[in-house]
Amino acid sequence: MTRWVNTLRFARALVTTNLKAALALRGAFVMQALFMVLNNFTFFVFWWVLMRRTPTLRGWRLADIQVLFGVVAAGYGLTVTLAGGVRYLGQAIEDGALDTLLTQPKPVLLHALGLRLQPSGFGDVLSGLVFILWSGQVSWRTAPAVALAIAASALACAACGIVFFSLAFWVGRVETAARQLWELLLTFSLYPEPLFGGALRLALFTVLPAGFVGYLPASVVREPSIQNMSMLATGAVLYFTLAVLVFDAGLRRYASGSRFTTFG
Amino acid sequence: MTLTYLKKHTAYARIAMAQGRRERAELYGRVVFFAVILGVFSSLWRAVGEAGLPASGDPRALVWYLAATEWIMLSAPQIHLEIQEAIRRGDVVYRLGHPASYVMAEFAAGLGATALRMPFLGLTAFGCAFAFTRWTPPLSAIALFIPFAVMAAALLVALYLWIGLLAFWLQDVSPVFWVTQKLMFVFGGLMLPLAMYPSAMQKAAAFTPFPVMLFAPASIVLGTGLVRPVILARDLALWGGVMALVVQWTYRRAAAGLTVNGG
Repeated sequence: MTRWVNTLRFARALVTTNLKAALALRGAFVMQALFMVLNNFTFFVFWWVLMRRTPTLRGWRLADIQVLFGVVAAGYGLTVTLAGGVRYLGQAIEDGALDTLLTQPKPVLLHALGLRLQPSGFGDVLSGLVFILWSGQVSWRTAPAVALAIAASALACAACGIVFFSLAFWVGRVETAARQLWELLLTFSLYPEPLFGGALRLALFTVLPAGFVGYLPASVVREPSIQNMSMLATGAVLYFTLAVLVFDAGLRRYASGSRFTTFG
Repeated sequence: MTLTYLKKHTAYARIAMAQGRRERAELYGRVVFFAVILGVFSSLWRAVGEAGLPASGDPRALVWYLAATEWIMLSAPQIHLEIQEAIRRGDVVYRLGHPASYVMAEFAAGLGATALRMPFLGLTAFGCAFAFTRWTPPLSAIALFIPFAVMAAALLVALYLWIGLLAFWLQDVSPVFWVTQKLMFVFGGLMLPLAMYPSAMQKAAAFTPFPVMLFAPASIVLGTGLVRPVILARDLALWGGVMALVVQWTYRRAAAGLTVNGG
């Protein structure tokens, strides 16, 4: 129990330190967050233009797409804010940069994930919340469901990042491919599920779990039910557990980079 | 003088091509990404067609339109990232002493990488568009589109070059790149032809270089007759000239104000 509490305290300290470091360059921080908000709203112009002419797409309306877009943006933003190191995991494995973390008493994965924070993530979270509120499909009563949906989306997103970038343990230089796989996951997550059918839909809930990053969390926000919420929470936790297991299996194969460097 | 100048910068283009051939992962990634995007959008346009609403005209033509715009976008390498890193690390200082213009060398390298990517991505674009639609626009339209696509990609490389140079002042140019990308998305008509946007947006877009880079060349594939090749060639030359002036001016300002901190 004490170990868990200590680990949580450590995670909080990582986030706080990262936040202080990011806020030290306040101008750059605000600019990155604001530009990300602008970026997300500009992207949404496509849906706005399309849905003005075609109000319903296989049962999806503009408000539904706003919820989907909002949940994915907020989930992704939360991932790169709290676990921004995920994007650099492949490079760290390839360069042998995990050496310094292996000598620390805290979990290596947690430490590696918490080493960085992307200021643009705050812009993602902010714009995500605005999209969800703007959709008109939420109220104070559904706030817990919204929080669960965003947290689950973030967990699934982080899990996929860990798995993709951990491939470096087995296949070496995987940075570009892993980054593109992660982008594919987001690409699929941002489009309504009914557009995809058959084997592709199955893949989107298994191999490339866009279903757990976007569709299922969005359906929890739109129609919160115990069944939906428990399915989402279970799926997200299972994916994250799988990701931790994959990372741990990879870590056993990890070869030191024999790096001499300063740390801290 | 001109021949030596040309040879020198062609060498940068050749080196970039050789590097691109060695590091194929990114190219393969782009090919897969391109195929997926076209797959997603062919499903989307099918759904729009099923809705039976006057959203878009022929869904098959829209898949080809996207293939054309994305071909231009994905062919241009994001050279701003390398320029940004060179400026951040201070490596740019060593480049200033080279007997070749830094700006022209980066532009030539960008064109070299574009030349390597365009054939692969072009095959992906047209192959996937055909596979998803079982239809091709008139071959004459495609043949006319290709040279305009090459010119538009070169203009895009110049735009990325300019964004990279802003790192002299901004350190991190990602936000500028994101916004430019999204302006390209909206004013360039990356995914939807500009003709589908509200008229106010179409009018605003006309004052930017983005329609000339994406919408106008891709419209040739659609064969709607909205774009006249002569006008497009003129606009591309015009915006090319403007871009060259802006890049040179930005670089001169940066080089003049450059302070070397260590080395």
